[in-house]
Amino acid sequence: MTRRSIWPFVAGLLVLPVVLSAQTIQNATLRRAQLAFDNLDYRQALSAGQASLRERLTGYERARAYELLGFTYSGMDSILKAVDAFKQVVLIEPERELDPNRTSPKALSAFQVALTQVLVIRQLRVDSIQFIGGQGNVPIRYTVTQPSRVVARVTGGALGSMRIDSTIANGQVNIRWPARLPSGDPVPAGNYNVVIEANVGQNSFSTSQPIHVAHGVVDTLPHLTSLPGYDYLPETEVPPKSWRPLGLALVYTGVALAGTSALSNGDLGSPSLREGTVIGLGFVAAGFVMTLRKPAPQPARGNILYNQLLREQIARRNNEIAQENTRRRQQVALSVVPLPRVGGGR
Amino acid sequence: MRTAATLAAVGALAIVPTCPLASQQFSVGPQVAFGDYRETTADLRYRGSGLGAKASMTWKKVSADVWLSKIKYTPHGGAATTEFDASEVDVKLRYFISGPFSAQLGYMNRKVDPEFEAQSMGAVTLGAQMSHLLGPGVRMALDGGLLLGPKFSGGGSVSALGAVRLGLGLKVDALRGRLIITGDYDFQSVSRETDNGAAVLSAPIQQSLGRVGVGIAF
Repeated sequence: MTRRSIWPFVAGLLVLPVVLSAQTIQNATLRRAQLAFDNLDYRQALSAGQASLRERLTGYERARAYELLGFTYSGMDSILKAVDAFKQVVLIEPERELDPNRTSPKALSAFQVALTQVLVIRQLRVDSIQFIGGQGNVPIRYTVTQPSRVVARVTGGALGSMRIDSTIANGQVNIRWPARLPSGDPVPAGNYNVVIEANVGQNSFSTSQPIHVAHGVVDTLPHLTSLPGYDYLPETEVPPKSWRPLGLALVYTGVALAGTSALSNGDLGSPSLREGTVIGLGFVAAGFVMTLRKPAPQPARGNILYNQLLREQIARRNNEIAQENTRRRQQVALSVVPLPRVGGGR
Repeated sequence: MRTAATLAAVGALAIVPTCPLASQQFSVGPQVAFGDYRETTADLRYRGSGLGAKASMTWKKVSADVWLSKIKYTPHGGAATTEFDASEVDVKLRYFISGPFSAQLGYMNRKVDPEFEAQSMGAVTLGAQMSHLLGPGVRMALDGGLLLGPKFSGGGSVSALGAVRLGLGLKVDALRGRLIITGDYDFQSVSRETDNGAAVLSAPIQQSLGRVGVGIAF
């Protein structure tokens, strides 16, 4: 591990105690209230909880204080007050969820009612995705707790602020962002924020999710040297042995000798066949040897045509691949990754 | 002296190719020739042998063969008593037509020494050749045609179809095409007629010639 890569780890160790202390209850009054609630002493829990809210609390402690009041009011069957307390919890921590296995049904229902009475945007998620610019979308989803006008924007970098969606919605909303500029070009690489803003009457709420957009090179296709399942065939084949060479030699010799006899002049006596016979014997010997020898490979017309078709098919496919690669080299592979969020909505 | 020069030429030709020859468009080499010559009657019969040479050329659809030979003919079982030398030149040009067939045009000239022991003659040859490849590097050919406008040292004439020839040819490639072995057979029958002023006399000429040799391909 290099020295440079050690520093983030060391910084994380230094920050960890601060983070842990922010996630634990330090306030004594609130701890007393929690202890009273655990002992089912609701009056003591109520008074201590309300007293803690008048003290200096962290955001986490304040949310726990209201949550404790919500549980206590639910246990005391004061549902309206429980709802009010849970509304404060949701406003402070919009992403807060109650564990249904460890929470009483009364408290759960009060929490659900509280969710419907405040305007917040929860569970904003941007999925990691990689696609070719112009041929994909970034999936974004969120949940809005009240019917409202919701505007989704992407801000940051050279982009400024670009509206990507505007709708009146309630509940879960799914939108798809093509990650393209108005000109059609892919958004430049860099860090951005996906900002969701909800407005209804005087109430408004916004939350954001940072993302990182990276550019990459689109993979090109390799050229083909063969087609799977289609092999080249031998373009020559050795024909079976035949007596054709000897036969041809005998025919040629026979024709020559017969022709000599036929064309010779009768006044000159019987023709001399000595010369023709000597050369003819050479013919027959050559024909006999050629008959015994392995025949010379002959062009296999069917295989030649098949190979020609195969070569044309591969060339055509490689031409298509070359065109596709040319197009791909002009494209950008977009990679979108959500970054850790710092803080909630407001 | 002449034999020594011939042997030297043959040796030189055999040494020439020191590298593989990519094509066989030209070949040349010596031959041994042997023949049978008859004239006028069955009593004038000669047989003999000698040396010769053959050069061949192939270019696209055109091919050509040139033979030179000198044979010493001696009387053979007839009334003839004097031997003579026959020096012959044969030239054949061929043009490939289709399949195994080629058209053939040529010229032949045979000079006899002593001059009046036999007939010297010259003629234009016209005919066709049929050729087949027997196997790798082995080609044989059968050709025939007419001897047109023959001229004889002793005079005489021949009808249009009275002078014919027939031939066989064999070429075998050896040593990966560097060396070729050749064998050729040529038969000429000329129905010559002479006029002694009183009557037309038949004075036919007939020659069978065999040639075997080797050649070097370039």
